Amino acid sequence: MLSQELIREALFRALSTGADYAEVFAEHTCQKNISLVSAKVDKIADSVISGVGIRIFKGTRCVSGSASSLDRSAVLDCAAKVADALQGSAEVGDIVLRERIFGDIHPIKIVPTGVENSCKIDYIREACLAAKDYSKEISQVTGNFLEVDHRILIATSEGLLAQDRQIRTRVTVSSIASDGSENQTGSVGPGARKGLELFDDFDPKELGRKASKQAVTMLHAGYINAGVMPVAIENGFGGVIFHEACGHSLEASGVALGQSQFCGKLGQQIANPKVTAIDDGTIPNGWGSVNIDDEGTPAQKKILIDKGILKTYMVDKLNGRRMGMESTGSSRRQSYAYAPTSRMTNTYIAAGEDRDEDIIASIEYGLYAKEMGGGSVNPATGQFNFSVREGYLIRNGKICEPVRGASLVGKGSDVIMNIDMVGKNVARAQGMCGASSGSIPTDVGQPLIRVASITVGGR
Amino acid sequence: MTYKEFKEAVISVSERMQVTDYELYYAESESTSVATYKQEISEYGTDSSMGVCYRCIRDGRTGYASTENLTAWEAENLVCRALENAGSIENGEPSLLHKKGDVYATLPEEKAKTPTGAEIVDAALELQKEMYAADSRVADGTQSYVICGKERYALYNSNGLDLEDKASYTCGMGVALIPEADEMYTGSADKDGSFESISWKEIAEKAVEDGVSGIGAVSVPSGKYTIVFTGHAFAQLLTTYDSVFSAEAAQKGMSLLAGKEGEKIAADIVTVIDDPLYKDSPVKRTFDGEGVATYKKNVIEGGTLKTLLHNLSTAAKAGVKSTGNGQKASYASNVGVGPFTFYLQPVEGTREELLTAADNGVCIKEVSGLHAGANPITGDFSLLAEGFRFEKGKKVKPVKNITVSGNFFEVLKQIEKVGTDLEFIRAVGGKCGSPSVLLRNMTIAGE
Repeated sequence: MLSQELIREALFRALSTGADYAEVFAEHTCQKNISLVSAKVDKIADSVISGVGIRIFKGTRCVSGSASSLDRSAVLDCAAKVADALQGSAEVGDIVLRERIFGDIHPIKIVPTGVENSCKIDYIREACLAAKDYSKEISQVTGNFLEVDHRILIATSEGLLAQDRQIRTRVTVSSIASDGSENQTGSVGPGARKGLELFDDFDPKELGRKASKQAVTMLHAGYINAGVMPVAIENGFGGVIFHEACGHSLEASGVALGQSQFCGKLGQQIANPKVTAIDDGTIPNGWGSVNIDDEGTPAQKKILIDKGILKTYMVDKLNGRRMGMESTGSSRRQSYAYAPTSRMTNTYIAAGEDRDEDIIASIEYGLYAKEMGGGSVNPATGQFNFSVREGYLIRNGKICEPVRGASLVGKGSDVIMNIDMVGKNVARAQGMCGASSGSIPTDVGQPLIRVASITVGGR
Repeated sequence: MTYKEFKEAVISVSERMQVTDYELYYAESESTSVATYKQEISEYGTDSSMGVCYRCIRDGRTGYASTENLTAWEAENLVCRALENAGSIENGEPSLLHKKGDVYATLPEEKAKTPTGAEIVDAALELQKEMYAADSRVADGTQSYVICGKERYALYNSNGLDLEDKASYTCGMGVALIPEADEMYTGSADKDGSFESISWKEIAEKAVEDGVSGIGAVSVPSGKYTIVFTGHAFAQLLTTYDSVFSAEAAQKGMSLLAGKEGEKIAADIVTVIDDPLYKDSPVKRTFDGEGVATYKKNVIEGGTLKTLLHNLSTAAKAGVKSTGNGQKASYASNVGVGPFTFYLQPVEGTREELLTAADNGVCIKEVSGLHAGANPITGDFSLLAEGFRFEKGKKVKPVKNITVSGNFFEVLKQIEKVGTDLEFIRAVGGKCGSPSVLLRNMTIAGE
């Protein structure tokens, strides 16, 4: 992407005003997004994203810059602008780059960028047709195929030179069920750090039917009555509760500045003893996995919370300086145009010892949240929310009729204390997580859990 | 190469490959941003970005490709990728490029000079200082941000259209952190406009007031309430549902407003306007994402749906004229449909007057989780909210950890009063705005 000579020159210029650390991040990404409406190809977005991001640190201050070009003049200009923000001068010693190859634990069988559109379209079409055929009440189906081939290079004034190529694919099917005056929706969206071999993991017809089943179920559901109640949250995307209620507040980006409900709580009990939570960037072919993070630090598996005790935060280099902690390989950015910060990778609540049937049976009146939508959080206050896509009432320990319109809200530090039953069967699901360093792929996950008491929004 | 050279290269590749109908859309931006922490600069950013999107029509089908890598090889690759993509399109929709002949608005000459990096730093530090000064409870972790930028959009097509819009903006934001009795409270405020016009002190005071006013907030019992949404909160809702006004969504069976033009869809006092040239919008656009001249229009007028928003393709399909709402979410996006500066027209009364008219209820200042808790296809929403409880029109206590639920299409019909205190938030196409709004019989989930 960039010659070693140019990288050295850029690092040299970046350090010339007194910074103690400089970093060059170069990127060349090819991305394609094919959308089908009514089982016909409707739109294709096909982009090349290419540019450089340069950062320098002086103590805990950071100057960053970016430019949409990998040209020599653009890279050096970017380095100069960044350096000149510091208004000092310094003697810069020789920078010796030593290339490191960290190894790729995410084998790709079929690189998608080389394959013609028709292969990808056929798969999505099959899913869309099956979704439409599921029921007469399905009024519309949209399908989407996403491929990303993200090549990155990171070089630092400490001499690190490392590269990674991150290939991801994702399939999304969304169904609308309608009775003429009312609509309800259902969707599925599996993805992985894989090539087109992702198609072998899922029967497209099954995906389509699953999306439609959810939409039809919800069309015939009534609204849940609002209130505070126990909730059983299913595995897979249910893990969004941990992601929002707790995960974001464990990112150094907030913790380092005192903007987290869990500041200064290392070693303390912050969650129910039943809760062990992990952020693992090393899961082979995981949607949120990286070989190296966007500062060149190898990915790690970190136990964030061990039986309720807070063990570590997720730390990037800049916030690590502010906190006096080492990077945990958690620095991520959407692209060169966003300055990186600490983020999640694949984050999940580990398996517990409760049986699923016992969890349901323990609830006299409450909600069984089978499929979740997304959510959000204010990491400083811990106030979070997320929506339930497919929910059912639990009465006398039995799952009863479907209910729509539920959302769950609360304060993270309260809710993770309230997770008092944890099942055995962990599943993960894929999402896009948005924060200051852009939108990045992350996995959420958990087994079936019970939250003893939480506010359920409804009608 | 420069964009001008790249454009020439793409034109010549198109000719060689016998592509006769094509368009080049170019966007560039430059910005300087500053963040502070503990009354010092913690982060300083200097970013420049640009990209080109190529759209071509082959055999009546439209293909797109985009790039940020302006080289001769990429010019060739860009055209090839767009052609391949055109070959895959099956939607049977009209493929059109805009023709010359529109009359475009003229934007006033940019008079303000661009602030220097040092001036931006000073502004951010001043904003930060004013936040600490505003209340003794303001703690470290309170941050201020100032960003100044310039944008340029250009569109060229094979029908001879050659257009350019330029804009510059400054945005200041304060996020106050206030710890009190083992709880953390945050407050935020922002303001955009020209660098000279922004009062940093005003942003600081608003941000701190936003945080302080929430201290001691509690939930309320679940039930039905009279609600006053502030303009900020109702604008959050309106922008989340703006896609229901898209003719594209309607034609694809994804909007419940399909076929409802001319029908009553909202209360009489509801008028919703899209104005791409809105006076206070820092980024005004004279042409849309495919070169159609933009103009102000009433989408809902006195409760009646006057028009859906159209681009060239949806308009041709419906047999009407484009409303100049061909929107590109980014330069690389396909042309879709969306509003620019979209707002609920002010009617009568201050927020206080609305609270008095409401008598008892909950005022909602902020809703969260819109991307998940509000569904434009069904209209349903169930959102985390905060604000305050009021009795006899007066604030009695702050409220948090509640959800407000309803259906957007029902809400439009139930709006009882619209105030005059128009507030704007940032939105995909520009801005979205609303005055305070009074609604009755809304569901709140709390204790």
